Amino acid sequence: MTPGDGADRGPGAAVRRLPPRPGRRAARGRGASSWAAPGRRGRAGAAPQPSRLLQRTMLALLLTPPACLVLFALAVVFWGPHRSAAFFIPLVTALVLSTVLGWPLAARLRRQLTALARQRDAFYEELLRLSKAASLGEVASSIAHDLNNPLAIMREEAGWIQDLMKGGDLQGAYTQVEITNALQQIDIQIERSREITQRLLQWGRDSAPQTQSVDVNLLLNKTLYLLESELQTAGVHVVKELAPGLAPVRGGAPELRQVFLNLMKNALDAMKDRGGTMTLVTRADPDGVRIEIKDTGEGVPAAALEHIFEPFYTTKPASEGTGLGLPISRWIVEKLGGRVEVESREGAGASFQVTLPTQQASDVDTAARRPDGVVGAADRSLGG
Amino acid sequence: MTRPIRLLIVDDEKRLVETLSKRLTARGLYVEGVHSGAEALALMQAKPFDVALLDVRMPVMDGITLLREAKKLQPLLQVIMLSGNASINAAVEGMRLGALEYLLKPANLEDVLAKIEEAFKKKRLEEERLAAQRAPGE
Repeated sequence: MTPGDGADRGPGAAVRRLPPRPGRRAARGRGASSWAAPGRRGRAGAAPQPSRLLQRTMLALLLTPPACLVLFALAVVFWGPHRSAAFFIPLVTALVLSTVLGWPLAARLRRQLTALARQRDAFYEELLRLSKAASLGEVASSIAHDLNNPLAIMREEAGWIQDLMKGGDLQGAYTQVEITNALQQIDIQIERSREITQRLLQWGRDSAPQTQSVDVNLLLNKTLYLLESELQTAGVHVVKELAPGLAPVRGGAPELRQVFLNLMKNALDAMKDRGGTMTLVTRADPDGVRIEIKDTGEGVPAAALEHIFEPFYTTKPASEGTGLGLPISRWIVEKLGGRVEVESREGAGASFQVTLPTQQASDVDTAARRPDGVVGAADRSLGG
Repeated sequence: MTRPIRLLIVDDEKRLVETLSKRLTARGLYVEGVHSGAEALALMQAKPFDVALLDVRMPVMDGITLLREAKKLQPLLQVIMLSGNASINAAVEGMRLGALEYLLKPANLEDVLAKIEEAFKKKRLEEERLAAQRAPGE
């Protein structure tokens, strides 16, 4: 399926859909760090790399005008009045000069483009590191909040037992029942606290190993678990339509969790003041595995839709959004050879779709594209 | 003669409301406990309260929204916010909207009681001031 193909959705005729835009657009607005880089692919298996095409085009553009000028001058000066063999001398000179001057220029351009791509990657690596730290902070804060509720209950139960003991009538039926209930409640709250701390432990476990393949359904469930209480507080109902038996996708769990967390938090923020439904859908796709995160929030305004993947662009208040979640997410997904698409209608929610190549599919694909068996550095920079 | 303090507790943690109500009732307060903003507003339309203890983070209607609505119904009501997290923003917003205090969970009952009594005194003073304004000649 092509990125712009919307045949699989029925009522979405009026829906505005945004396919991935590798580099070019962002370069216009946001500076060098968003330039297309060698090895960047909009989707898995797309053979020519945009930056190489760009380099060749620039080289051709660079050489064509002087060559044309020289040929034109030759035609005027020599061919008409003299019909002389001297015609060939400037032609050869021009060709030699173009080659001698043009190639180093092209090489320099290529070096600059590569350097820019490296800078872009370093920029996003740093953003990813920061956003992971910020997420950990948010998770820790949410856990502290959740933990304080059972703690408050335990304190009151213990206090109630003390109150009853101070009352003196310890053998009375009422006191006995109350003390038993309070002790049971303390036990229930301890179990609840243990479940909450498990979340933090889980976070640590998933952050440590750089796994090479990820079970998308499992990771979505784990990410959802982190946001459980926030979703509940916001009155957001979660619907899961997860296809069983999906092949593992290629990538690191910490990076992909960041993608899912960003998309789910966006969905949550869109429904914070009004509640709603967040739908998580996974299914097999010709390009690997497709993950859809849908909300019934306010939707993305048409004017904002074109900019949401640009760094620092945000429609949230300054204290809530940095405008980095979506660019980072798209960078991670594209690094893994996947793509992110969005469709939204103002007032009718938004849907973000992530397509990720599976472990096997991407390996087969890479081998087919490079018959020599050599795997490009960019193809392996995150996944393997 | 002092009448008992009429306290309203609003928290979605049902067991917390239940136990806190028992303990405060044992200390001579008149306590009503509910678990959502909607229930609280319905109850406030029927009964006057002196002090309200509101949880900040609740589903559907959060404590800050409830504070705003509650003040419309009972302007003299003294509100103490109770929260599980130390969010400065929520505290500032609560104070701006007229909350008297901001307590963190798990709070010590003696502290809670001291704040409630302080809030009650403040309410009595405001009631007296209003009464004096209404009857300046007496």
